[in-house]
Amino acid sequence: MDYQNILTTCTYCGCGCNFFLEVLDGKLVGTIPCKTSPVNEGKLCIKGWNVHQFVQSENRLTHPMIRKNGVLEKVSWDEAFDYTASRLSEIKAEKGSDAIGFLTSAKVTNEENYLLQKFARAGVGTNNIDHCARL
Amino acid sequence: MTNGVAELEGSDAIFIIGSNTATSHPLVATRIFRAIENGAKVLVADPRKNQIAQFAHLYVRHKPGTDVALLNGMMKVILDRGLADRAFIDANTEGFTEFKTLIDQVSLEDCAAITGVPVSQIEELAQIYGKADRGSIVYCMGITQHTNGVNNVKSLANLAMVTGNIGREGTGVNPLRGQNNVQGACDMGGLPNVFPGYQPVTLGAASKKFADAWGKDTLPTNIGLTIPEMFSAIEKDKMQGLWIMGENPVVSDPDADHVKKALEDIEFLVVQDIFMTPTARLADVVLPGASFAEKDGTFANTERRVMRVRKAIDPVGESKADWEIIQEISTRFGLSMAYAGPSEIFDEIARLTPSYSGISYDRLEGDGIQWPCPTPAHPGTPYLHKDGHFTRGKGLFHAVEYKGPAEVVDEAYPFWMTTGRVYAHYHTGTMTRNSAALDREVSEGFLEINPADAAALDILDGQKICVASRRGEIETRIMITDRVEKGVVFMPFHFEEANVNKLTNPAYDPIAKIPELKVCAVSLTKV
Amino acid sequence: MIDMVKEKIEALFKEKKIAGFLGLREQNGQVAPHLFMEGQALEGMCLGDRKIAGDARYPLNKILVTLARQYPEETFGILARGCDERGLYGLFRLNQLDPDKVIAVGIACPGDLALACECKKPFPEALVAGEKIQAGDSIKAGRETLAAMDTLDLDKRFSFWKNQFSKCVKCYGCRDICPMCFCRECSLECEDLVSKGDLPVDIPVFHLTRAMHMADRCVDCGLCDEACPADIPLRLLYKKTAQIMDIEFGFTSGINKDERSPLSMMGPAPKKVAK
Repeated sequence: MDYQNILTTCTYCGCGCNFFLEVLDGKLVGTIPCKTSPVNEGKLCIKGWNVHQFVQSENRLTHPMIRKNGVLEKVSWDEAFDYTASRLSEIKAEKGSDAIGFLTSAKVTNEENYLLQKFARAGVGTNNIDHCARL
Repeated sequence: MTNGVAELEGSDAIFIIGSNTATSHPLVATRIFRAIENGAKVLVADPRKNQIAQFAHLYVRHKPGTDVALLNGMMKVILDRGLADRAFIDANTEGFTEFKTLIDQVSLEDCAAITGVPVSQIEELAQIYGKADRGSIVYCMGITQHTNGVNNVKSLANLAMVTGNIGREGTGVNPLRGQNNVQGACDMGGLPNVFPGYQPVTLGAASKKFADAWGKDTLPTNIGLTIPEMFSAIEKDKMQGLWIMGENPVVSDPDADHVKKALEDIEFLVVQDIFMTPTARLADVVLPGASFAEKDGTFANTERRVMRVRKAIDPVGESKADWEIIQEISTRFGLSMAYAGPSEIFDEIARLTPSYSGISYDRLEGDGIQWPCPTPAHPGTPYLHKDGHFTRGKGLFHAVEYKGPAEVVDEAYPFWMTTGRVYAHYHTGTMTRNSAALDREVSEGFLEINPADAAALDILDGQKICVASRRGEIETRIMITDRVEKGVVFMPFHFEEANVNKLTNPAYDPIAKIPELKVCAVSLTKV
Repeated sequence: MIDMVKEKIEALFKEKKIAGFLGLREQNGQVAPHLFMEGQALEGMCLGDRKIAGDARYPLNKILVTLARQYPEETFGILARGCDERGLYGLFRLNQLDPDKVIAVGIACPGDLALACECKKPFPEALVAGEKIQAGDSIKAGRETLAAMDTLDLDKRFSFWKNQFSKCVKCYGCRDICPMCFCRECSLECEDLVSKGDLPVDIPVFHLTRAMHMADRCVDCGLCDEACPADIPLRLLYKKTAQIMDIEFGFTSGINKDERSPLSMMGPAPKKVAK
């Protein structure tokens, strides 16, 4: 028996509500708003209350895939990493750094945004990086 | 936001424009409801009479895309009736004379004609906001998603400065950020012109600092491409590779068919996401990321509060945290990355980003910290521009003239279309439509139409209708409601099968490059 | 006070009476519900009083129902204030928890909290720590609140509630936080009763449907009030239905361990009636 409440921050809108994800034996079973959070003081909207539901949806992507003969096929992470890195290298070599662009995301963490722009700027050598701030 | 969300409870006038607060930011609405209980007067300006408008002391329904005319009218009244805060203006701002010259030429009758808001209501808005001791402006994409988006924002800044409603608790110019970490993505340099902490890529000192930190001799100093510019570059065969992490432009971007074509045409497309989105279906490589519940990290909310995200369960299937995916590919590409975890990445961020430099994971236990937080002993900054000290020194007035939207109604496309969210869904629905409770609430898209227009078209509530613009057409059911006035229709943009962004106008603001998602012209035909 | 609570829990573990103890603890700088297991220190345990008494209460009974469904053979200890114990009695009556599988470790609420809550019984029978304060003043305060509302004429009362309900953002938080809400099918999701898909909600149907459904269940813990993003005074609404239950049937939910609801007299007898 393992029941844990993990304090975290909502992934939907910019309010940034704090809640506990209820984990029972490794599965998310609920969401409980954090009473002592200065942001939401124990309250949530309908999206927040149900935020645990999409996480374990059966529609989640679970394997890397590469398009082969027009069809996306499951591959190993190694193959996906190598293929992506080598195709980006080829494009950079043939067409230059600015032939590559990046859409980073308002949905991922600060750390992940930081890393992708670092890779764009210091790895590929382009400032072609943007995200949906305008949408 | 210049100010914190909770401060709204202590404002005595709140001017909400272009924000459906109760639906899109319910926990901000909480504070506004409380402010009303505390005696604040709430003013709402929106083409659509949304939920919070029902609680407004005064609601005005201005025509889509006429915000500058409304705001200039308000400022005309404020200047004419001596409601301007001359002491604040003299001490803390510049450009006032030029601004005043423009406002002096504004005619209230013209403003009323353009906006559809009677002169008396423009006067009342100005009186209430202008006389407030702590006046707060709250806005959202209804202000920014216009070809005049930047001018709209500048006008709101003018309004706050002319009345001295900035730099104090319960005041300010407060954009509500629509996505949980859009603030953080901007803070982290997820933009073509700036490094983390808004340090320009064109600035030699900044470029050198980051090059040194990242072990490079130089970094590119040309400003990169924005999203719409990238799609144009793809069309012109100037961009061959695109890596999209956690975005769904095929549904979220204007003129969606056009976006889809670009992504079909590009030579190499990598999509990293948690679901097989319409964008991921077009990819050459699909990389399964882990959701927020499966990794550690930080988000920055709309009030600049940096808060922890904590791992609750292991990544689903073989998915991996996005930072691990980037690290692996970067290393194989040739830029070695070997971070032990997000905390170590955060420490690097803090070293390079002045507004974050006092923040560390240890300090984020508890309530989080509102940046700027320059040192480890600094408590964070609940509101910006304290005592009228602006980031650039003096607050700058801009003389902003009214200019209409890029597309206007005509005989062929006689209805104004505007877009937004519903309470049970979020953005392109990738997450919320995979939630049983939320899908139960609202399972398909719809078009809101005024009863008079529905009667004229001879259609009943729930019937299907064909909606067309110059860019495409879709079918959807109608919802008859007087939330929208005659001649204006509204659609939510969460539903790919009735994707309103096939209709919206990709014309964008020349400075911010933000598309005019809030206004386009459509026709309606019974099917 | 907390030392006495810890002592009791340690004894329960030592005597092998419980598989786990559901309480509260300081975690990541906030107060969190937590299942303490045997052999783990009770470090960080707290009673949910932060800036003021009782400001960090959580629906522990609701979590207990989740755990009991998954582990029906296990016995759990649980931190209980007066309202929590009333909830436990209700959940025993409604066959959601087995009284033989729950050991409440009770704490009494201080006078200011009891008054603020207008509490009917601010201490549990299973009292382990804290001083029993009789409910006289707080019950009187509750009566006065209702009486003040009753003095308004029908139009004013209706317009008051209509205005309150219009703020609803349909989060269902009143249901989702409620320790007494356990139905697998919810009347609020029955489209014959409540229409879906739009804001504001059906007025007054949405809120009155819930009030009626909870008439013999609500134990007046106030968690719904605290969870409402629109600050709708839900507790006041449910207090009124509770008053009607009291006047018409002499029934107060959760006050007696052996209670039976007058609204379910027609149904089958409970599986097990506690002695």
